[in-house]
Amino acid sequence: MEHALHMPLPDSPDSSAQPRARGKVHVSTKARDGASVLDGLRQAGSLKLLFPRVDRKAAPQAVLVNTAGGVTGGDRFEISGRAGVGTALTLTTQAAERAYRAQPGETGKIRTRLSVEAGGRIDWLPQETILYDGSALDRALSVDLATDARFLMVEPLVFGRTAMGETLSRARFRDRIEIRRGGVPLYLDSIRMAGDLAAHLARRHIADGAGAMVSLLYVAPEAEARLDAIRARLPETAGASLIRDGVLALRGLAPDSHLLRQWLVPLIESLAHDPLPRPWMT
Amino acid sequence: MATGARTAMRTEIDATLVLMQWLSPAYPVGAFAYSHGLEAAVEAGWVSDARGLEDWLSDVLLHGTGRNDALLIAAAYRAETRLEVDEIDTTARAFAPSKERLTEADRIGAAFGDTTGAIWATDLAGLVYPVALGRAARLEGLPQALTATLHLQAFTSNLIAAGQRLLPVGQTEGQAMLRRLSALCPQIAADTDAGDLSELASTAFLTDIASMRHETQYSRIFRT
Repeated sequence: MEHALHMPLPDSPDSSAQPRARGKVHVSTKARDGASVLDGLRQAGSLKLLFPRVDRKAAPQAVLVNTAGGVTGGDRFEISGRAGVGTALTLTTQAAERAYRAQPGETGKIRTRLSVEAGGRIDWLPQETILYDGSALDRALSVDLATDARFLMVEPLVFGRTAMGETLSRARFRDRIEIRRGGVPLYLDSIRMAGDLAAHLARRHIADGAGAMVSLLYVAPEAEARLDAIRARLPETAGASLIRDGVLALRGLAPDSHLLRQWLVPLIESLAHDPLPRPWMT
Repeated sequence: MATGARTAMRTEIDATLVLMQWLSPAYPVGAFAYSHGLEAAVEAGWVSDARGLEDWLSDVLLHGTGRNDALLIAAAYRAETRLEVDEIDTTARAFAPSKERLTEADRIGAAFGDTTGAIWATDLAGLVYPVALGRAARLEGLPQALTATLHLQAFTSNLIAAGQRLLPVGQTEGQAMLRRLSALCPQIAADTDAGDLSELASTAFLTDIASMRHETQYSRIFRT
């Protein structure tokens, strides 16, 4: 990523003795002179954070880099982020995350924990996660919001390398999203699929053969005011709903990731705190 | 016949009578007013005939609300205290994929709680439908698996009736469909028997999307 500024931090001790990739990062923000600035930063193993230069008024932008190049069975990645009181933080990924073929009985795990303190905001904007045939991925995203915190989540998912004609005839995928506000469950979503995912996704009322999907959540007092404009951008295979006050959920399907981006990117631009993270534009 | 066996049989008959009453279309919960997003799926052309309706119901039962409702019934049934039931209710509400799904579970649950609470003198206030039903069955000592199984059949039957208002599906065709789909109900109830809410999950994506799109459907006869 040519515009990235790599923070000059020492790497963790070499973990190459481990047979599988391990990676762990933590980033947090605090307020200084009315702006959001980096507070804590830790990185270990095959996860790194890059911090591209952003406008002085923009929130710190943390770009996750998986130096292992993807996730396979037995890998474990942990990501944690915290927006301190009154501050904003954007998290994204440098590239699409690839879930590679896993050895039988092995599962790659990604655990993400975010917390947003009073008056704060996190935009969680990873690029696509691509499930390869034979992959076994278990993800969990856990978010704790203060009562008046804001949160934007965009999770695009791609079912196989469709451009190569790959179908997911054998894969396992688990994805759990838990959002709590003031300690109380606010939004839960869980996907569990195993076996012939292509056959399952081909069913008319599952995904009707879609190759890509997005789950989006926007928690903010102004969510309701954005609903009509969001709906106007959606194709027939997507829907948005203000499930309860200040909680807007969207799910959408597309034939492939390219067609998904055609309507998703403008939508993220309209909802994100700052201009679209640069990695998304490549 | 030993007295014990006779008592057990009597209890089972009594239990079935109560469940038949609660899950009858005549029980005033207003379920007939909700299509669970089917109306939007029909409007979009995703469901256009009896075969399509059966496919839609099968996906909803096995991969969406059916299985999740059965899990919630089991969890609420197994809960020992009202506090635990309230936590299950909070989880159920957070798991709603759309506003209309939450409305449907909330309103039917409220109506079920009002009527059942008045007649059986139980406190079921403020619970979404599957949680209220599971709790009520526990308080009345009704069998858990039978409660979940008959709920799934009643849910299916109600949505076939909704489908018959939207599509050319005849009475005999509808009942034949219900007979086939009823075969899924005991299996789903058995699979969800432990009521482990970490197993709540849905892949019935397009049924959820249809339920979201129903909110802005111009011409509609159902509330959801």
